[in-house]
Order: sequence, then C-alpha cells, then structure tokens
Amino acid sequence: MLPENNTLTPVHAPPLATEAIHDLSVREDAKKHLAQMEGKYRGLLEAAPDAMVVVNEDGEIVLLNLQAEKQFGYRRDELLGQKVTNIIPDGFAERLIADDLRSEEDALTQQIGAGIELTALRKDGSEFPIEIMLSPLESAEGTLVTAAIRNISVRKAADKHLAQMEGRYRGLLEAAPDAMVVVNQGGEIVLLNVQAEKQFGYRRDELLGQKVTNIIPVGFAERLIADDLRSAEDALTQQIGAGIELTALRKDRSEFPIEIMLSPLESAEGTLVTAAIRNISVRKTAEKQMAAMEGRYRGLLEAAPDAMVVVNQGGEIVLLNVQAEKQFGYRRDELLGQKVTNIIPDGFAERLIADDLRTAEDALAQQIGTGIELTALRKDGSEFPIELMLSPLESAEGTLVTAAIRNISVRRKADEHLAQMEGRYRGLLEAAPDAMVVVNQAGEIVLLNVQAEKQFEYSRDELIGQKVKNIIPQGFAERLLADGLRSAEEALAQQIGTGIELHGRRKNGSEFPIELMLSPLESAEGTLITAAIRDITTRKRAESHLLQKVEELNRSNEELQQFANIASHDLQEPLRMVASYTQLLSRRYKGKLDTDADEFIAFAVDGASRMQRLIHDLLAYSRVGTKGKELLNTSSENALQQALLNLRGAVEDSGALVTHDPLPMVKADEMQLTQLFQNLVGNAIKYQRSEIPKVHISAAMDGEDKWNFSVKDNGLGIDPQYFEKIFGMFQRLHKREEFAGTGIGLAICKKIVERHGGKISVESRPEYGSTFHFTLAGIERRS
Amino acid sequence: MHKEVLLVEDSPGDVRLTQEAFRDANKSIRLHVAADGVEAMAFLKREGAHAYAPRPDMILLDLNLPKMDGREVLAHIKADSVLKTIPTVILTTSEAETDIVKSYQLQANCYLTKPVQFDEFASLVKIINDFWLTRVKLPLQAVSGQE
Amino acid sequence: MKSNGSDFKGIDVLLVEDSPGDVRLTQEAFREANRSIKLHVAVDGVEAMAFLKREGGHAHAPRPNIILLDLNLPKMDDREVLAHIKADGDLKTIPTVILTTSGSEADVLKSYQLRANCYLSKPVELAAFENLVKRINDFWLTKAQLPPHEQSETEISH
Repeated sequence: MLPENNTLTPVHAPPLATEAIHDLSVREDAKKHLAQMEGKYRGLLEAAPDAMVVVNEDGEIVLLNLQAEKQFGYRRDELLGQKVTNIIPDGFAERLIADDLRSEEDALTQQIGAGIELTALRKDGSEFPIEIMLSPLESAEGTLVTAAIRNISVRKAADKHLAQMEGRYRGLLEAAPDAMVVVNQGGEIVLLNVQAEKQFGYRRDELLGQKVTNIIPVGFAERLIADDLRSAEDALTQQIGAGIELTALRKDRSEFPIEIMLSPLESAEGTLVTAAIRNISVRKTAEKQMAAMEGRYRGLLEAAPDAMVVVNQGGEIVLLNVQAEKQFGYRRDELLGQKVTNIIPDGFAERLIADDLRTAEDALAQQIGTGIELTALRKDGSEFPIELMLSPLESAEGTLVTAAIRNISVRRKADEHLAQMEGRYRGLLEAAPDAMVVVNQAGEIVLLNVQAEKQFEYSRDELIGQKVKNIIPQGFAERLLADGLRSAEEALAQQIGTGIELHGRRKNGSEFPIELMLSPLESAEGTLITAAIRDITTRKRAESHLLQKVEELNRSNEELQQFANIASHDLQEPLRMVASYTQLLSRRYKGKLDTDADEFIAFAVDGASRMQRLIHDLLAYSRVGTKGKELLNTSSENALQQALLNLRGAVEDSGALVTHDPLPMVKADEMQLTQLFQNLVGNAIKYQRSEIPKVHISAAMDGEDKWNFSVKDNGLGIDPQYFEKIFGMFQRLHKREEFAGTGIGLAICKKIVERHGGKISVESRPEYGSTFHFTLAGIERRS
Repeated sequence: MHKEVLLVEDSPGDVRLTQEAFRDANKSIRLHVAADGVEAMAFLKREGAHAYAPRPDMILLDLNLPKMDGREVLAHIKADSVLKTIPTVILTTSEAETDIVKSYQLQANCYLTKPVQFDEFASLVKIINDFWLTRVKLPLQAVSGQE
Repeated sequence: MKSNGSDFKGIDVLLVEDSPGDVRLTQEAFREANRSIKLHVAVDGVEAMAFLKREGGHAHAPRPNIILLDLNLPKMDDREVLAHIKADGDLKTIPTVILTTSGSEADVLKSYQLRANCYLSKPVELAAFENLVKRINDFWLTKAQLPPHEQSETEISH
C-alpha cells in the first residue's frame, strides 16, 4: 500500500519526511518517483482480487480500487472522502480508534492474518458479509489503514449452508438407527450420535476427541492412515457401499461384531469419515447358525443312505452326496453342473422344466411324499430302477429341488418274489379245504378262497373289500379293531393256535356255527390276518346230540331212582295188607282150619314177608343214592362201633369175636359207612358153619390219599367164580333155608363204596374164609 | 348216635334220679341239665357259656322253676321258629288240670306227672326212652357242633 | 275226666286213616293193647275236621283224647288237617300223633313245625306195628296226662 504523497515504504521503514524534500528538483524527482510508485501501487491495488480501501485516521476513505467500487456499488469519487462507516457500519474503524491507546502495531498484531468478519453496506442499501484484513500504511498524512475486504457472502452462505447441513446432519446422525461416528484424518472422533453412545457404552464427551481405535481396535482407522498416500476419497471409493466386518470394543471391554459403512464428509476441518456402525451380533449369530445348518445339511446330505441330488431350476445338479457318486458311478465334480437328465433320463427333470410356468412348490406339491419310480443311468451306461422323493429347498439361488434317490433294484426283486409267493400262497389258499379269508387291519376282506365263496354263498367280488363283520357278525373283527391300540401281532399271539367258536352268516342271512383259526400275515399293506374258517355244524350237532344223550341218561337215571322209590313206597301198602292179614290169619286160625289151609296160609305168609323184605331192601338200595349225604371227614372207627352196636344181638348170639386195628379218618357219609360195616360184619358173622366167627377189620394206606379197608372172616368162603356175581342185586349163593337174607346186602355195599369213589372186591378160599376189600378217600391234609 | 336230652330241673335230687334212670334205660343218652329257665334258654340259644351246647333231641321240662318258670320257658321255646320243633315234654309234679291244659295250649308235646315212687319213676323214664327216643321220629334240623 | 256221666275212663281216639286195611289193623292192635279205647275213624281230612268240629253227621261226636293222623290222605292235603287242628284254639290242645308210612325227614320236620305232638313211622311188619300201637297206648294213653274231654271254654255237648 502506498500513501499518496509518499514513497512506497514497508511499515517499519522510517517515514520519509516530506519537509526534507523542499527542493523543487528533489520534489520533482520525488514526485516523479512517487508517481512511478503510485502507478505501481495503483496497479497492484487495481489488480487485487479483493476490494481494497485505504482509510485515514479520521476513518475517511482516501483510496479504493475497482473491486471496492464493484463490491460496494459506488463510483470512486462517491466513496473518496466518505467515512468508511458508510460502507462498513461497525467493525474496524472503531477498533482502530479504540485501540489508539495501544500502538498500532500491537493493535494490528492481533489482527494480522486474522480476518475480521463484519457486515458491509452497499450503495443500494443491501448488506453483505465481509472479512477484512487490515494492515497499516505510513504516509505523509499519518498512519493509514489498508483494508482488504473480501466478500464472504458465498462463504457465509456456504457456512450457513454448512451450519444448516450440519444441523440437519446432526439431526440425521442422532436419529440414525445405527451408531454413527465421524472421524477426522487424525483418526479422532469428532462427532457421534446417541446410538454410538449406547452401542459402545460411552458418554458422548468420553468419546469425542478419542482415537476411534479405542472403540474399533482394528480396521478402518488404519486404512485411513495407510490410505493417506491416496486421497481419502480414493480410499473410500473402495469402501463406499461395501460394509466392512470388524470387531468393536465396548467401554466394559466386551467385544461385539460390527459392520461399518464408510462415507466421506467434507468439512472445514477437511475430509472426515462418517462411519455407520451396525451391531451385527444377531446377524452374525444367524449367519453362524446358517453356516452350522449348512454344515449340518451338508452333513446330512453326505450321511444320507440314499443318493441325494440338489437340482436348480435349470435342471442342473448343484449339490450331491457321496451316495450319489457311488450309485451313479461318477465323481462329484463330474456331476456338479451337469443336467440331471444325464443320470435320470426321464421323469422329474422334465417336470421341473415344464413346470417352470408354475412355482416349483406347486409342482412339487404333487410329488412330495410320493415316491416316483423311474429308471436311472449309471456312468457305465447300465440302468437301474429308482424311486425318487422330491422336496423343495429355498436358497439364495432360488428354489432348488432336493431329490432323494433310492435304488430299488432289491425291492423290485422282492416285489417279484412277493408276487411269486403271492401266487403260490394264492394257490395254497385256493386248495385249502377250509374257507380261508384274509382280513386287513380295517377289518376288510382282502383275499379269500373258493371254499369261502361256497361256505358263505357269495361270489368272490361280492366279498372283497367287505367288512368281515358281514360274514362273521361277532368275534374276531371287533378284537382286531379293539386291539388296534396294540399291535395286531400281540392281539393274535393270544389267538394263535386256539380255535375260536363263533357264528358265520351266509348271503341269505342264515347262520351256522364256525371255528376260527387265526394267524398273522406280513405284507406290504401291514399285518393282515388269515382266518381259517371251519364249518362246525356237524360237530356242534354231534356235541349237542351227545349232551342230549347225557341229559337223557341222567334223566332216565333219575326216573329210575324215582321209580324205584315210588315203586317200593307204593308197593308197601298193599304188601303190608297182604303180609299183615295173612299173619293175622295164620295166628288166629292156625289149627282151626285144615292142614292144607295151614299150608296155604303159611306159603302166603312166607311169600308176603319175603316180598316185604325185598321191597325193603330195594328201598334201602335206592336210598344209598337218593338219601346219600355229603362226604365229610368221618371217623371210620366210630362208624364201625355204631355198626357193632347195631349188630349187638347177632354178635352176642353167635359169640363172635370182632377185632380191629386203629381205623383212620376218611371222607364219608357216616350213616352209609356204618351200613357198609354192618353189612360186611353181619355177613361175616352170618355165613358160618360151626365155628365161632372171627372178624378182623383193618385199614392200610394206599398211595397219598386213599385207604384200603379189609374185613376178614373165617367163614364159609366164596367160590372164585362168584366173586363178581355176589355184588349183584338179589344174588344169593345159598338156599333160603340155609341162610336168610335177600341178597341185597353186598349190592348195597358196592353202591355205597362206589358212591364214595372207591372200589370193592373180595378174595376168598372156600372153607377158609373171605376178606372183603374196599377203598375210601382219606381226609385232606391240612397244611 | 347219641341222643341229647335237656333236663330243665331245679331239684338236684330229681336231677340225680333222672340221670340214674336214663343210665339204666339207655346208655347212649347224654343228659344235659339246666337248673332254671334262664339257664335253659341260654343253653337252647347257645349263649355265653353255652356257646357250644348241642341241640337237644328232646326237652324234659319241669314247670316249677326259679327265675323264669317252666311255662314261660315253654312259651319261649314254642314261639321260637327254630326251637319249637324240639319235642318238649313237661315232666312235673303237678297233676292239676289247669296246668295240663295250659301246657297243651302252649303246645307242649306231652305232659307227664312225676311219680312219687322211684321204681315208677324209673319205669316212666324207661317208657320215655322207649317211646320218644327209640320209636318216635324226631325232627332233624341242621345240627352244628356235632359229628 | 267225665264222659256222659260215666266215671269209666273211656278214651276216645280219633284215627284219621284212609286205608280200611290199616284201620282194621289198628283196631285189632288197640284191642290187644287197651280194651277201654274207643276208636273213631275219619277216612279223610274233611271228615276229620267235621268230626272234630262236630259238624253235620258228627254233631254228637265226642272230643277225642288223642288224634292219630296219617299223612297220606286224599282230598285235603295231609298237612292241612294238622295245620287246621293246631290253628284252632279249641282243638290245638288235643295231642295229635302222626302215624304214617312216610318216613321222609322233610315230612317229619314239617309236621313238628306244624306242632304235631309226635311223629311215628308205621312199621311194615305186623308184629312191629302191633308193638308200636302198644307203645302208643303205654305212653300216651297210660302214662301221659291228657287234657280233659271237655274244656270249660267250649260247649259241652252230650
């Protein structure tokens, strides 16, 4: 800056005193020099990009340039001599004056370099922001101040815009769902939002100014520094959009995975980097899970017993397992990318492609679960039958189809075998003599033979599919259904082998008795039950016939008993009359009539009494059965004693010697046992010639629970040929004159013994005596 | 088969006499004695000490008893559906018609007057034995406690 | 015991028996045993009741000292007679002895339940029968005390 009448001097140069140059010529030279300098100065002034204004100590503009004219919208001569406050209402003029107390240098020192922001006023009254840079200028007129005035409207606008932006930006920052951190080129955090505070567990002021490495130990900070050789923009270009995965560090030292998205931010401070920090823990976990799933899936795939092949919508194999390699005889890499039609010439590949018009899911919906039988092609060209099971698989690449491929050659063979067996079985079935019916678990007839058709009078097709209940109304159908809760095998286990008696129903509704034999039959349809059905009408008839006969027999027995009873009973009365009156006759008229009369009467009397005795004995015999009592624990010794008491008379008269061993407790009817002993001992005493009767009774144990009694005598004895006969009814071996008696005694004994479940027999030697044996049941052992 | 006879008699002398007479007549008779009506009923109903008493085939009942007299006993016996079928023979000193009639009204099976003389008494017992315990058909109701 | 003024102790026995043969036998047997017995006979239950109630032709019948009753009777059910007698306040005191061929235990028990005084089984043999009648006589008609002919509550008929 050049003062007007002065030479151009730097500030600290001593001022040139104008008095020193009174000499005109010097003044002329100085003027010329000054003019020269002035021109140069003026040139500079004019050329300055900023408005330049020189102001004297009074605050008047003494000099200005073209830019100033333009900036302020004045003409030069309108401004020269004006107060600078007219164009800069406040600001530096006052300061200068105010600052007069200090040296200009001091005052200026504060302003050197530093632009002061003020507001300028144009001629038209509009204002605009300016920045002025002051520098003193010594001149003949004193210290002038040169002010370079820069119109900072743009910058102001930019600043305002920036401030606005900053405000808006700050708002966005705060609202951002992710943590946002702005980092300067020094790697320091200059800005952050509330999410960042939360995520990292810091307070804002704790993070501002911090190195970003404190929260993101590794990653982008370095890159920034490393990338310092290139511009941050270049470095960022690579990262724009792409998220970088890093590990972040919380205040509490815990780590969490993050994804950062970097973007540059121009600012007054230079290029900042905005980092959007997303906590991807959840995503990372999901990703891990996915990876695990994928791993698992892959594992499953590999472990699957069947060949597994995953095919994309283009029909190409994108995944396969080791089984697939084996089955088809290819290596994995030979198959990946191949059209699946190379290994499965027809079938599902076409369907997929054809079905492309609908979604794969729709297409598969038809095939899910059901196996499709196709033919597969090995590498070596050989074919083999397969069964496919398809299922959709969602993936990033779209819908894929997973195919489980099962080699069913074996099964095919089994099926053939089964068909063969079936054929054979069918043959057996047809040939069976009994009706055979095979029933499924729903109780429906699935198979039957010609016998069944005949038995039930249906034609085959009328029965197949029918509920077996229609032909066997009760019985095994229910059991099958009821037993649905347990396995059919368990249910049958109870029935195998044993015949069940039920009724079968013919087509015409008539029923007939049957016997069922069930056996399980394994088949593809599950467990079936084969029932052999035998018509047992004849057998039943025979049974009932038998039963009938037995009943008849029983009835006739009873009738016989009754007859015997009634006969004896009703015969008594007339007999009594005959017997009594003939006796009375005999008594009263004996000797009063002639001998013939006596004889006749005698025979009548005799006949009558014999008849009475016979009837009496017959009654006694029949009473053994009808009047028999329950077999109880009885002392056979007591029974014998009673019998002897009853035989007292006979014993005394004959002088008989009756002895016995200790006799046991037996199961018997006491009265009948007494009767038995009485008859036997009575006989023993009676059938004697001349000797004194000696009778001995003993008992020996026979086996675990029987007693063998013996009544031994020294009487007449019995001829062996009569051993059986004597036990018959009314059988006598002696003449009436010899021995009295009707011959019923032993028959009664036999009946009594047999009623007790025992046996009676005799051994004897004529003239030596007899021994009668009989068995009785012993009493139950008490534990 | 033993026969059980219940003698309801308070006079010990008479009891002894009866016992002797029965012993002569029939050894297979078991004579039970009740000294008064209460004991007689207890015996018949198998109460208390008589829980295992056998059912008598015949009852010889004296009318003059302490505590519960013979008529009451007779009435009780003949009112009981189970006991009423046991032949109950009054064997008492009284000859009074009123007693006889009363007894038959109360359904006594028979009324006998005790003879004064022993040999007559013995002969009576013999006849009782002969008639009632030999010839007469006695009812057989379910007997328990006997063989 | 009085009977029509006579102090002769006559015994009236009512025999209810349908078999004439048995009637005769019984008569003979009683004759042997006790000559002072008057045997009255009713051949069936209806007649027996008429006799006892002194109805119709039996208006002058004596009151029996003892009744011998056979169970096998026509017309009225055997046991009914016994039941009727023992149900009648007046007749029940007459000792009623069952004398019958039936030896069935059921009949025996039933008879005692219906308050028969005693039950005797008619023996088959004549001698035994005669013996029994003798015993009946010995016991009932000699030793036993029988209720008097006439009782104070009933009408005295001649």
